Amino acid sequence: MTNLLVMKEYLKQFYAKYEVYLHPLAKFLLSLISLGMINSKLGYMGTIDHASIVLIVALMCSFLPRTCIILFDALFILLHLYAMALECAIVALALFLVLFLLYFRFSPKSIIAVVLTPVCFGLKVPYLIPIAYGLAATPASAVAVSCGVVAYYLISYMSGNAAAVSGMASDEMITRFRFVIDGLIGNKAMILTIVAFSITIMVVYIVRRLPIMQSWRIAILAGVLTDIMVMLIGDLMLDTNLSISILGLLGGSIVAALVGEVLRFLLFNVDYYRMERVQFEDDEYYYYVKAVPKISISKPSRNVKKINSQRRPQSMSSQNK
Amino acid sequence: MINEERVILMTRMASYEQHDEKKNMAIVNYFRNDYLGFEFLKSVICGTMAFLIVFGMYVFYDFETFMQDIYKIDLLAFGKKVLIIYLVCVGGYAVITYLVHAYRYHLARRSLRTYYNNLKKLQNMYERQG
Repeated sequence: MTNLLVMKEYLKQFYAKYEVYLHPLAKFLLSLISLGMINSKLGYMGTIDHASIVLIVALMCSFLPRTCIILFDALFILLHLYAMALECAIVALALFLVLFLLYFRFSPKSIIAVVLTPVCFGLKVPYLIPIAYGLAATPASAVAVSCGVVAYYLISYMSGNAAAVSGMASDEMITRFRFVIDGLIGNKAMILTIVAFSITIMVVYIVRRLPIMQSWRIAILAGVLTDIMVMLIGDLMLDTNLSISILGLLGGSIVAALVGEVLRFLLFNVDYYRMERVQFEDDEYYYYVKAVPKISISKPSRNVKKINSQRRPQSMSSQNK
Repeated sequence: MINEERVILMTRMASYEQHDEKKNMAIVNYFRNDYLGFEFLKSVICGTMAFLIVFGMYVFYDFETFMQDIYKIDLLAFGKKVLIIYLVCVGGYAVITYLVHAYRYHLARRSLRTYYNNLKKLQNMYERQG
């Protein structure tokens, strides 16, 4: 445990020292992964489906504000869909515009959740998103996470039905349009995921703020169980058949719990054994205070002691020789 | 000699100036009602645009039926129905954003007040030392 705490101190110091480089690096990696995923899933426009283009755009994103990552992602999606079928691009554009006008206009900070959620879906660990956001953010982040879920299902629906859409005659514009809309609105797995993630975020947030011992650990456990339960019950009720595999759900939930534990260690590491209850009063109130100390450890400082070997005076006997 | 308390206060204030001050000043430069009114108006405009997009998609989705029935349907009743849906959706959205911005204004004012109190404290420290 002490080693972990020392490592945490080193990490904090490392972050403080190299923050200027770490932020652009994180933005670069996030945009690189997200654009790579979009290209691998959609990839209908050959011009932008190149590693060099992705690298250039990711490099640009690393120096631009965070909002640009989502703008470039949206642009890539629209261009690929336009190359596939105009109707798909129209539907995607309408969806992005509605999301932008209604939500991101007044909450640009949470925009990163919209990129992170599809990325986690792509990495097969989507269940860590509601746990992480419940621990580190507020219930309002459920809206941004839901937008991310919609974006992911939009991409996977388009890539899964590309052949069907392209197979329709080009003069059947309205039929194509209707096919895309029906597929998106009637996607029960998407609705189930949105409901499960939103409920999980709220449960984790509420439990972690309770004034009880080990509230963060209980919150992680409650969140994981809630997610599994809602997913399974929802699957039975909606008969989604299943885009969710039981093993994937359980494995993903275990990963989510582990990541949650890491987050707890980094964000909320307290020592319940040294908890104090104090009581005092002023003119207007009595105060019953519970104070839980944070676990902290000072970074071991290394002193390098230089030991110079003492020069021996030349012996008199050798001089006399 | 370095005054530790003063250095801590100045660091905290510098951090605030770097991160939140500009944003909060932009909010508090308005009177509360002006700020909320302006944000409410923006919300109504954005909500209306989003509603028009969704409505356009709805019409396009059922375009053939819509064009066939356009002379049969009671346009006034249809318009009234659309208007009610519009008012409920955009009104609800505008009320939510109004509440969010009212809370933001409150937070911005509170944090700026704390900042000015810290400024006064800093000035007092200098005067005491001088």
